[in-house]
Amino acid sequence: MIGVEVSVVSLDEWVPTISARIRRKGWRYGHLTCRRDEEGKRRLEILLLNLTTSTSEVISAAIPSGQADIPSITPTVPAAHWAERAVGDLWGIRADGHPAFSSVILNEAWPTDVIPFHRAADGIPAIRNTHLLSAHGSGIHEIPVGPVHAGIIEPGHFRFTCIGEVILNLEIRHGFQHRGIENRLATTPWRLGRFLAESASSDETVANGLAHAVALERLSETRVPDRANSIRTISLEIERIANHIGDLGGLSADVGFAIGAATFARLRGVALGLGQTLAGSRFQRGLICPGGLAWDIEDTRLTDLGRSLAELTHRIHEACELFFTNPGINERYQGIGILPLASVEELGIVGPSARCAGSHYDARRHFDHALYPGFVTNIQPQTTGDCYARAIIRRDEIMDSLDILSEVLKNVPKTSVLAEMPDDLAPNGIGIGIVESWRGELIHWITTGPTGTISRYVIRDPSFQNWIGISLAGRNNLIADFPLINKSFSLSYAGSDL
Amino acid sequence: MVQSLIFALKQKMATDPIDFPDLPAGSRGLPRLTQQLCQGLACGDCQAACPTSAIQLDESDGRCGVSIDLGKCIGCGACIAVCPSGTIESNPSTKTATLTREALVIRQGESPSDSRQVVGGSLARSIDIREISTGCNATDQEVAAITNPVFDCSRFGIHFVASPRFADALVVTGPVGRAMQDPLIRTYKSMPEPRIVIAAGTCAISGGLHAGGYAEANGVLPHVPVNVFVPGCPPHPWSILHGILLAMGSTRAHP
Repeated sequence: MIGVEVSVVSLDEWVPTISARIRRKGWRYGHLTCRRDEEGKRRLEILLLNLTTSTSEVISAAIPSGQADIPSITPTVPAAHWAERAVGDLWGIRADGHPAFSSVILNEAWPTDVIPFHRAADGIPAIRNTHLLSAHGSGIHEIPVGPVHAGIIEPGHFRFTCIGEVILNLEIRHGFQHRGIENRLATTPWRLGRFLAESASSDETVANGLAHAVALERLSETRVPDRANSIRTISLEIERIANHIGDLGGLSADVGFAIGAATFARLRGVALGLGQTLAGSRFQRGLICPGGLAWDIEDTRLTDLGRSLAELTHRIHEACELFFTNPGINERYQGIGILPLASVEELGIVGPSARCAGSHYDARRHFDHALYPGFVTNIQPQTTGDCYARAIIRRDEIMDSLDILSEVLKNVPKTSVLAEMPDDLAPNGIGIGIVESWRGELIHWITTGPTGTISRYVIRDPSFQNWIGISLAGRNNLIADFPLINKSFSLSYAGSDL
Repeated sequence: MVQSLIFALKQKMATDPIDFPDLPAGSRGLPRLTQQLCQGLACGDCQAACPTSAIQLDESDGRCGVSIDLGKCIGCGACIAVCPSGTIESNPSTKTATLTREALVIRQGESPSDSRQVVGGSLARSIDIREISTGCNATDQEVAAITNPVFDCSRFGIHFVASPRFADALVVTGPVGRAMQDPLIRTYKSMPEPRIVIAAGTCAISGGLHAGGYAEANGVLPHVPVNVFVPGCPPHPWSILHGILLAMGSTRAHP
């Protein structure tokens, strides 16, 4: 179980307290945000995670009304830099001392007087800054890309500053899909919220549904039946397999390796079919609900699943053999888009994008969700941190997940699948759900008010943490290699924009 | 090279052998109404369970009068699960696209309105499409899936193009929040006439789960006219193909 300890500090003690506490052994940065307490006062809060004890801590500081700036933690905890910018957009609060404070969610399409969580009593909000860093000089030019891209992908704007063919700097401008999901989740009765939570980023439907459920289960101290936990594991790993296969297909398509693209696209369909067999929907929507599963899965469906799995495993091995022995693939992907371990650790990069550079962090080893952390995964990190390593790590994770699936399918307990949840959650409580989605550590962080209703709902998608990784990995690479670098990270725009 | 060729030759055909197969048994499709009469307002379980207020109940003309707006429905199956009288069931059909917004509202005892009217005319054999994504990426992935070997949209003459300047039709996914409204309108205006717009997915049709918030994410209709509606959250790739073939006026789209 994740216990959450809350320390209240003053805004003056904010930076020194966090600086001291994050340096303790075994701790890492989770997320930073702002919420409004029952008296209407804004509170700046940071979530720190302890990997050794699987616990977490929230440090909370009240922001006096009338004040529109806070001391920035980014110079000491660089991982918080996007989060502070998001607080700026959504709350109208400026982080003083932030090295590059500009908008990250509400871009220039939003009128400056729209500040979703700001209230008149908070005083005059900080002015939103939508500045993009640019460079000038002989031979330097800019390339704007998006929000409407040439392919079938999500909208985002990339501004490249290049010298000739080489990327000097990349500024990422997001927020085109901002739908106000956090606000909606805090105003919807929790029993109706799960579909919305799933749609935060639908390629992570299961992970989002699971993190949502885990956070609510913490708040109501509900114990999920064993059968539900087994099926949740199966569901989460099917999602991981399907998306990693899809990415290997994308990596094939982006270098014109048509046979690889077609094969992986077809296999991704087979993996989505496993989801369909399990949950009746290719994206497994609606299966996971707080307390367990929305419906039971007949044993015959699990048997069918096991049968399709053997066939799929064989075909994936074949396709990966074709991909990784292809000289064109090796030549194009090796040595480009390098993100070194030092940057990974400093910026709190998560998931395969971190494990390709030598990081061991995998939320499945530390935090309670589905059968984890009791269930072992055997992924060995890569060390080179380049695009090729990100492809290799995807292959290894597919194989590992296939092993997990066949292991779990051997013995799915025959219990009920749903534990009764109370209508009211624990008052003034904090529920944290941490799930290793296929993109990495996904956090749902729920705070309840005095009556046990949700007062603040925060989602930290792995992409939100990792976008800066693309920016850095792209530097000093050829502009023509950028699509490959982008695909090798394969981040969600929707999950970051919310 | 040789290895790749041998591998390719060993593959069996991937493409679905028939057009518009039903969803596999046990799938959750969009809801449809059976002939079973229900308690209507006296029960109301389905209405209470619906997360997007897609269900209306009225008892005006002697019928139990349940109607479902598929343009708001996310296919979660909650209404089917709670219905005590078996009035609502899952529809396995993948031919779900319509040419009008009204045709998405289904009522008991009424057959779905006919959609034989042709949109495309000259586009019957080939159509070039630009996609705009504004949502949670589920429908995007299903749009991308129609290009894979299983659905293989190019055999119907359907191609995706990189610029709206070359496009006959625009496929829009997602609820079109504030920051995508201007890019959508500008993309639409960049297209040569006649411009066809296909709203794919429940979000694009009505805003779905996101409608009514501060992000003004209420779908495509407030911004550009829509010719074809493809309900579902997300719609199945075959349903998206159905929508595009309807826009082309292709006979393959009709019963």
